[in-house]
Amino acid sequence: MYDINRAESAVTQQDIKISARNVQVYYGDTHAIKDVNVEILDKTVTAFIGPSGCGKSTFLRCINRMNDSIDIARIEGQIRLDGQDIYDRKVDPVQLRARVGMVFQKPNPFPKSIYDNVAYGPKIHGLARNKAELDEIVEKSLRGSALWNEVKDRLLEPGTGLSGGQQQRLCIARAVATAPEVLLMDEPCSALDPIATGQVEELIEQLRSQFSVVIVTHSMQQAARVSQKTAFFHLGNLVEYGETDDIFTKPQDSRTESYISGRIG
Amino acid sequence: MTGFAFALLLTAALAGYMMNRQAAVTLRDGGQRLHSLGMFHGLYALLAVLVPAIIIVLLWLVLQSTVINRLVMAGLPDGVLDNLGSGAIQLIKAEIQSISQGRVFGDPEQWKMDAAERMNSLRAASGWLMLLVVAAVSAAALFVTRRSVRAEFRARQAVEGITMGLLISCSLVAIFVTVGIVLSLVFESIRFFQMVPITDFLFGTSWEPQIPIREDQVAAEGAFGWLPVILGTLVITFVAIVVAVPVGLMSAIYLNEFASKRFRAIAKPVLELLAGIPTVVYGFFAILTVAPAIRAWGASLGLPIAPNTALAAGSVMAVMLIPFISSFADDALSAVPRSLRDGSMALGATRAETVTKVLFPAAIPGIVGGVLLAVSRAIGETMIVVMAAGLIAKMTINPLDSVTTVTVQIVTLLIGDTSFDSPKTLAAFALGLMLFIVTLLINIVALRIVRKYRELYD
Repeated sequence: MYDINRAESAVTQQDIKISARNVQVYYGDTHAIKDVNVEILDKTVTAFIGPSGCGKSTFLRCINRMNDSIDIARIEGQIRLDGQDIYDRKVDPVQLRARVGMVFQKPNPFPKSIYDNVAYGPKIHGLARNKAELDEIVEKSLRGSALWNEVKDRLLEPGTGLSGGQQQRLCIARAVATAPEVLLMDEPCSALDPIATGQVEELIEQLRSQFSVVIVTHSMQQAARVSQKTAFFHLGNLVEYGETDDIFTKPQDSRTESYISGRIG
Repeated sequence: MTGFAFALLLTAALAGYMMNRQAAVTLRDGGQRLHSLGMFHGLYALLAVLVPAIIIVLLWLVLQSTVINRLVMAGLPDGVLDNLGSGAIQLIKAEIQSISQGRVFGDPEQWKMDAAERMNSLRAASGWLMLLVVAAVSAAALFVTRRSVRAEFRARQAVEGITMGLLISCSLVAIFVTVGIVLSLVFESIRFFQMVPITDFLFGTSWEPQIPIREDQVAAEGAFGWLPVILGTLVITFVAIVVAVPVGLMSAIYLNEFASKRFRAIAKPVLELLAGIPTVVYGFFAILTVAPAIRAWGASLGLPIAPNTALAAGSVMAVMLIPFISSFADDALSAVPRSLRDGSMALGATRAETVTKVLFPAAIPGIVGGVLLAVSRAIGETMIVVMAAGLIAKMTINPLDSVTTVTVQIVTLLIGDTSFDSPKTLAAFALGLMLFIVTLLINIVALRIVRKYRELYD
């Protein structure tokens, strides 16, 4: 009883950034996401965990409409960002994606210089009025993703020449430079070594002060380390959603318990 | 006899394969650990029988007729070839050859009949000898390889070595053929430059290859300055590329990025059909449709336009080049990883921004490759310009004027009754050599550009 009260008070203290209602996703005939309801808070790290193929990445890609480019994907239900239905006809997915940034599983820097990689978003959205402002945004974003000291002397070298961990931080800097309100991360550390993973996790903790972060991860330790809220997905269902500590210490659902204790997955 | 030799060879090779594999398997079943699989022991025998024997047979077939001819000519009775020129000796040789094949014209001398008979018997002997040699070589190879089957014999490495040799010789064939082509061009060109100074050719601004063919003919002294001709080629190429590159690129971008699956499924094969149209047909199109249209258009503006304009030839050539550029660019765009596309879209870029700022730069090396291939084709293209461009060489860069091209001149120099010792005919080889050098230079430049971008983007 006390737990529920605490959860409720937490919700009222923080703004709800994204709320999903009865979301269904179909890939052709496959029912990939079944009736998902979730409320994601502002300035919070929310982790999506679950076994492979459980739909957590699919759901993540619904939040910035990256599934639009897949012809056979069909989405029902409502996802609201600040109360606005993002699947509304009036919403331009291009503008939505400027507000909801994304970092992918594999680092995917553009074949351009480090500077141009970070400046890409600000340039296309007209965030800088002149070169000096653009320089400032680039530096701030690179500092924000803890990459500045490593690359400040070689901003004009290709971003593809960096190491894997540096590339992923470059991609985070690139996403941050667009000044998003939500940052979606699809298994951002799965291609990285433990040291680079540690750096990215530290970064996620810092990013939380500016916006809401949603991270899909295979690693339960990572979810426990970086997130405040955790959602457990299984076979397309959102099984359990709550405070990270509660999910890992006293899960309500037997499936969650089995997964975190290593019996399914 | 040759067919029989090959049959023998194949049988021996297959037998060797079976035998060695069986031997290896027997060893293995006997409890020994083989270094190589049985199959490699078999293949080793197969290759060891085939490769040397085939080389022998091919060399034999190439050299056989020369050797036999020499023997026959040397065996002719004394005196019959005295005081004859090389042409007459050639004729006698040809006559003996045709008699030996049963085609007897008129009533040849007895010594020719004898020589033909000798030729036939030599041929038969040569055939048998070849068969014998092939049999001996195969038997030797079979014997040697059969003895090599031991547990520790590295048959796999041996097979790999032989295969590597085959691969190397195949790539050498291409190189040797290229070298041969270049050399034949160079030798004929040298003969040309002995008659016409090379500076006149390279820097002359007048191209009038009409020279007297016979002593008694009245004609002006010819002029062989290639500049107006190459200028014509460049003008037509320029027109073709200026039209084809934007159209090809834009169609590739549309097909790759924006078109629906159904439209793409129809449009792409149709576009590629353009590449299959014979260039003669493009030539018809140029003279019957495009050139009159351009003339009518010029007339309506009050411009006097020649019937054979560079614009007509160039724009029709452009149509031919569109599928090249389009499919190269399409492949290059498709090869850009999906993750880059997703990354750009996820930053809130529109599709147009994604194409122009991310996909296109990443695809540049492939696109440049396609464009330069198109340039090479445009420079070397013959049929369209023979039909649609002019014949008179003019120093002009006006695309509304009539120009001629290097390929057109080569064709006109070589058709009709020609002898290969006048500068008029030899000029064609010099032009061909220059065309070769120009396209070579373009390819070198292209490779450099591609490499530079690769360094930047990899």
